[in-house]
Amino acid sequence: MTSAHAIPLLQARGLSFLRADEPVFGPLDFTLHPGELALVEGDNGSGKTTLLRQLAGLLHVDEGELQWRGQPWNRDACAGEVLFLGHQLGLKMDMSPRENLHIAAGLHGARDGRDAASVLAEVGLAGYEDEPVRRLSAGQKKRAALARLLLLPAVLWLLDEPYANLDRAGIALVNRLLEAHVAGRGAALVTSHGAVSFHGGEPKRIRMHD
Amino acid sequence: MSKWIPLWLHKLGSPPIFYRFAGTLRPWFLALALIAGAIGLYGGLVLAPADYQQGDAYRIIFIHVPSAWMGLFIYGVMAVASFIALVWRIKLAEAVAMESAPIGAAFTFITLVTGSLWGKPMWGTWWTWDARLTSELVLLFLYLGVIGLYHAFEDRRQGARAAAFLAIIGIINVPIVHFSVNWWNTLHQGSTVRILGPSKISMDMLWPLLTMMVATKLYYVASLFGRVRADLLELEGGKDWVRRIATGEQATGEQA
Amino acid sequence: MPVLYALIVATLFPFALGPEDALLQRIAGGVVLVTVLLAMLLALDAMFRSDIEDGSLEQLVLAPQPLALMLGMKILAHWFTTALPLIVIAPLLAGMLHLPVQVMGVLMLALLLATPMLSLLGAVLVALTAGTRRSGMLLALMLLPLCVPVVIFAAGAVAAAQQGLPWVAPIAWLGAALVLALVLAPLACAAALRIALDA
Repeated sequence: MTSAHAIPLLQARGLSFLRADEPVFGPLDFTLHPGELALVEGDNGSGKTTLLRQLAGLLHVDEGELQWRGQPWNRDACAGEVLFLGHQLGLKMDMSPRENLHIAAGLHGARDGRDAASVLAEVGLAGYEDEPVRRLSAGQKKRAALARLLLLPAVLWLLDEPYANLDRAGIALVNRLLEAHVAGRGAALVTSHGAVSFHGGEPKRIRMHD
Repeated sequence: MSKWIPLWLHKLGSPPIFYRFAGTLRPWFLALALIAGAIGLYGGLVLAPADYQQGDAYRIIFIHVPSAWMGLFIYGVMAVASFIALVWRIKLAEAVAMESAPIGAAFTFITLVTGSLWGKPMWGTWWTWDARLTSELVLLFLYLGVIGLYHAFEDRRQGARAAAFLAIIGIINVPIVHFSVNWWNTLHQGSTVRILGPSKISMDMLWPLLTMMVATKLYYVASLFGRVRADLLELEGGKDWVRRIATGEQATGEQA
Repeated sequence: MPVLYALIVATLFPFALGPEDALLQRIAGGVVLVTVLLAMLLALDAMFRSDIEDGSLEQLVLAPQPLALMLGMKILAHWFTTALPLIVIAPLLAGMLHLPVQVMGVLMLALLLATPMLSLLGAVLVALTAGTRRSGMLLALMLLPLCVPVVIFAAGAVAAAQQGLPWVAPIAWLGAALVLALVLAPLACAAALRIALDA
């Protein structure tokens, strides 16, 4: 799929995170090329969320090295190319999924030929476009947040527990999104406690601790 | 890191080296502070002549004025250390900035208390909205804000960085407050009492004052060293050098 | 809510001080200013609260747009929803306290310049406390030293106008400070937010 000589999208060497000088995780070494999917594996408290927040640029890097497209990581270089979906979904409760998507598209821009209505239909929220997010179920809220992945033109997805709160169809939806993203030369880092069934080639695995 | 920082200063920034360095110097600073303080107080309270206007009441300046100077001086130190901490993420600078704040707040508090004690015989009231006293009160609030913000965070280093930012905002604010309070005072035609006044201060009073100033500076350094040492032990709790100190002390304790 | 709060505080003053016109007239300008300030402080805490809770602040920080500009817009929106209603009812409060009508214009001008200052300065401090949970009292403690000059100049202008003295100078100072704050506060706010969220 990817040649070994291609410039990796993301490369970490000896990456670790310290909180009050106690290492939360690491040191970690991994590379992620365009078109690759990596599963971040580890128990509760092993620092999966911390790693994703660090890669998104929400936490600082003080030990180890992080490279973005072969250059030392900096905020401006990867801004807009990275999409982070955390435990908090970043949805405004009083607004509808459609309005939330409009905000996101306003900040990041939208993929060509995509609009809020079509992506909401794709994640199974047709008919709920104008319902306040507050009134949606937990799984539907998650789907509304996932719709952002389809709409925004990001290369790297950082998904923290994307399967949580979803029914079987929802899990299949996440897998379908990931497969399409990877097929389109996108890359993704996904954390999950449970076994993930991913049909699209064997994903990379990043172990948080040995 | 810039090249102009001498190597020894660079080394001093590392916690274990500073810990030992401060531990060695601290008793000296403390002893000198006590000696200078004793001389200064003796000179001020016993040797210096009584003021022809204020009698013996003026003698409180030997505490009041050095404290007021220290209140401002320490704020300056804190702001500089804060700036270094924010720009270069140096742990020692964070510790210096955050451990300076309580000392500075204490000096400012002493200034306010002695100022109001002095105000009673001089102005006939414990508190007057004099420009200097008001500025000093605002300074105390600035210190308390920094201390409060530092302790509001669960992660101490994050708290230190946030409080350092506040300290820098504060140092911009100090001259603005001073200027505006002065303006406010003239607007309301309050009693503008000149504390030291334009009158020449006599040598007999000046040297104890300067000695007290040196004493408070030395005390600040000694106190800061002690506090930063304790802080470093806590911040670096998991590191080897701290473990060695802890086990070393345990061993000597068992021997004794 | 802040409007109701301001109304209550302003109503309490005559009860505490007695209803003599002369006394109320003398303190009216200051009381209205301090009341508005306290009411704004009440609402300040909520500026980023909901955005932090639902994670949309993270999305804002990660968006490929200048953070300072977006925060500036948020501050503006906050000013529109909390301070503007207060300015609208300020003449009512001032009237209840018998502030002379000639001075009303100066009071409104002072409020129009002072409240954005407070929103801007307050936003920086709210951003600094973004990583903490208990912040109400702390915010007041941190804001006090910053708002002392604002209160002094705003109230000074009103007092000067009331005494028939020239009041342009303090208003001009407020305006100058506001221009400075408009430029610098959003930048400081963005930096503070990154520190408090550890970005």
